[in-house]
Amino acid sequence: MGYVLKRFVQMLFVLWAVATILFFMFRTMPGTPLAAFIDSTITEEQQEALIAQFGLDKSLGEQYLLFLWNLLQGDLGQSFFFKKPVVEVVWEVFPNSVILTLTSLIVAYLFGIVAGAYLAWKRGSWVEGMGIPLVLTTRAAPEFWLGMVLLAFFSFYLGWFPSGGANSSGAEWPSEWQRVTSADFLSHLALPAITLAIYLQGLPLLLMRSNMLNVLQEEFITMARMKGLSTWSIVMSHAARNALLPVATAFALGIGGAVGGNVVVETVFSWPGVGRLLVNAVAASDYPLAQGAFLMITFVLVVMNFIADISYHLLDPRVRVAASG
Amino acid sequence: MSLNSIASVRSVVATGLVATTLTTSATSLWADAGDPIRSLTLISRAQAANPQQFQAAELIAQAWRELGLDVTVQGLPRPQQSDAVWYNRDTWDLTMWQMVGRPERSDPDEFVYNLFHSSTAPKGYNFVGYVNPEYDKIAEEQRLITDKEERKVLIDAAQDIIDRDQVYAFLVHPLKTYALDKTVWDASSMVEQPGLGIKNFWTFVNAAPVGDQTDMVLNSSDELNAINPFYISGATDSWITELIWDRMMRIGPDGLPQPWAAETVQWSDDGLSVTLTLREGMMWHDGTPVTTEDVVFSFTAPVDFAPMYKPFVDGIEEINVVDDKTVVMTLTTGNAAFETSTLSKINLAPKHIWEPLLAGLGEGENAESVLEETRIGSGPFKFNRWVTQQEVVLDANADHWSAPKMDRWILRVVLNVEAALGMLRSSEVNFMSDYTGDPDLLIEAAEADGDLEVIDSVDIGFQYVAFNLRRPPFDDANFRRALSAAINRELIRKAAWNGYAVNANSHVSPALVFWHKDGIAEGLETGMDLAKSILDEAGYEVVDGRLHYPAGQTEAFVE
Repeated sequence: MGYVLKRFVQMLFVLWAVATILFFMFRTMPGTPLAAFIDSTITEEQQEALIAQFGLDKSLGEQYLLFLWNLLQGDLGQSFFFKKPVVEVVWEVFPNSVILTLTSLIVAYLFGIVAGAYLAWKRGSWVEGMGIPLVLTTRAAPEFWLGMVLLAFFSFYLGWFPSGGANSSGAEWPSEWQRVTSADFLSHLALPAITLAIYLQGLPLLLMRSNMLNVLQEEFITMARMKGLSTWSIVMSHAARNALLPVATAFALGIGGAVGGNVVVETVFSWPGVGRLLVNAVAASDYPLAQGAFLMITFVLVVMNFIADISYHLLDPRVRVAASG
Repeated sequence: MSLNSIASVRSVVATGLVATTLTTSATSLWADAGDPIRSLTLISRAQAANPQQFQAAELIAQAWRELGLDVTVQGLPRPQQSDAVWYNRDTWDLTMWQMVGRPERSDPDEFVYNLFHSSTAPKGYNFVGYVNPEYDKIAEEQRLITDKEERKVLIDAAQDIIDRDQVYAFLVHPLKTYALDKTVWDASSMVEQPGLGIKNFWTFVNAAPVGDQTDMVLNSSDELNAINPFYISGATDSWITELIWDRMMRIGPDGLPQPWAAETVQWSDDGLSVTLTLREGMMWHDGTPVTTEDVVFSFTAPVDFAPMYKPFVDGIEEINVVDDKTVVMTLTTGNAAFETSTLSKINLAPKHIWEPLLAGLGEGENAESVLEETRIGSGPFKFNRWVTQQEVVLDANADHWSAPKMDRWILRVVLNVEAALGMLRSSEVNFMSDYTGDPDLLIEAAEADGDLEVIDSVDIGFQYVAFNLRRPPFDDANFRRALSAAINRELIRKAAWNGYAVNANSHVSPALVFWHKDGIAEGLETGMDLAKSILDEAGYEVVDGRLHYPAGQTEAFVE
């Protein structure tokens, strides 16, 4: 229990440190939130009013304390440009981001795990000779390029999929659930999800393959062969189960990353998401939105890490021994 | 291509010769020359964000190097550029900048006054720091004269002074390019507004569908910020606000204000009061009638609650309700641009909805932070919904006196230019209202497709190089004239803007046919030889290939 408490205190410290860094990072960046309001009709008095409205006329120290105080109360502040609470702005596009990233993560990991195990089993064959360079190529291809190629072929040329957005123009659904399960939404989801999945599959595939190669050399595999078990049974029941643990960890962290959205894919496919929101917030020096959104992402990542750590601690006796020793 | 390269070889040889002769002759004058001019940085938007502007900057820097200046182009993202130029007015030297077109800029006042009047030099739009009492006087006077012909004389004079002083080196007025799907919209029902093209209010109320598709699907390459009658947020947001909320007057297809919610607009002889008669039977979208109380509210609320609209109602001394259809506004001084900058700009908002909302505001809050359920206007379109980062849907208001012929107006946010083009071809978008790509690609796509029509027109806005007049040598009009003369605008127009622009030399666009001074762009004499002779006459000298100040002048800045 002492270990859990220790990790919990560490987690709080990390959150405070990130919040502080974010606060000062955005304020030392060149640019000012007024830049988005530059207009030939703006007057000096209006500029001062805006500064006061944003609370930027207070000293940096004062602003920082106010920020921490609000944060403790769960208040991330109000976006300078949307004039809405940060949480509300982020929440509006949050489901789209999570659905896109989760779908592609699941596709990528399912494919990666099976293909990785297969390539490990086929070690030294021509299948591996062809497979590995192909995986490396797709992993190295820039997302925007891949996205544009898929868009040009499947959407512009074949016309199978729509070219952008998360829904057809003007379409309406009675509930959010019906929207995200509609054929319309899924057809919009297909291309961005495939693009992202192709980009993501390399990691689980290569990880799975190298773990498998290690496991296949272990004595219990030799033992299984000696027992005369079938190839399929050895790969799936004995080797793969043992090789899976690190891949599962990578998946858990990938989920954490899902909240951050994917700027590139979201931009290419005009997909509503947290990534686009962040880029705009940073470009327009919308401090509350930028730091609030980054903080939310940090929070999810840190919590996912915490859970992963604790579950390791519970699942794997070796970790437990190391921690207490 | 081969002819071009021969020409460029020749010019290199020629400049080599000139440089040599200048150097030799200058050696004997060595003792007389002033300090060498410091290395200069020409700021531009980053190449990826604005390739045309960046390429123009490169070409300009190249030309100025021929004059013996050491110029580097620095591409910056917009916030950083604004920070360097707008908020640190004493430290920059040169920057590329642009002004964009808007309906209310159809009157020359906004540019004529705000860009160059000395009162806006410390913090406003006169960021170059131009201070000229002669110009100030003209800029102030043209506001007071309501006779169009008399005012035109002053607007011409203002253009002449800026031309003479070359406060900016104007480059081009880009062409605005839009496209529509002819199988969906009757191309003849599009309305072209000078300086704005076919993407304007009049097209949206007038566009006639030819088939079953009665929704207009448009695109925007920018994210939307807010839809609020008291908040001037992003440029794209304003397309929406002007459809939902009516105004007393509107800028017509001819660029001039015309009565709208006001049936008549009657000025007193001294130009200090205006009587407005409200149109019969106007209704808010929630079914309640529009009253003169609403009009008074809409013009007074900005004083305390809408800081961005406040300057436009500041000139109103008082508003009196005469009867249930008539109001009289009294102005503190005459204002020629009042119809354009106030009557055509202030959104009419319902008092019964907004008054309680404003009363409930906390300290430091204003109308800009009021959200959602408040989007009730009286305009030809009703707000339906806004899906963040994706689309805004407006429904036609069939009860409006100028009811649109379409059913819905749907604006899609499409960040990727290529995707927008693909959508136009696949009919996912049927009116391309925002195109930032290469116009040639759009025209090629239209030719390949057959269903598309591309329409372009000259922008009210313009692209230019701004000099920081606070810093020598840019305080010297001769120096600015020389730098401007060295710019090959024809080359820039063709190479950077692919020919989709017209040359500029005035802050009043040729799109404003009445106000623009004819021939002012053609009248600008340019050329490398001319540039060199202006510098020579003003006493600048080239020593060892580097341009120096006239004798006795020292470099006042330490970089």
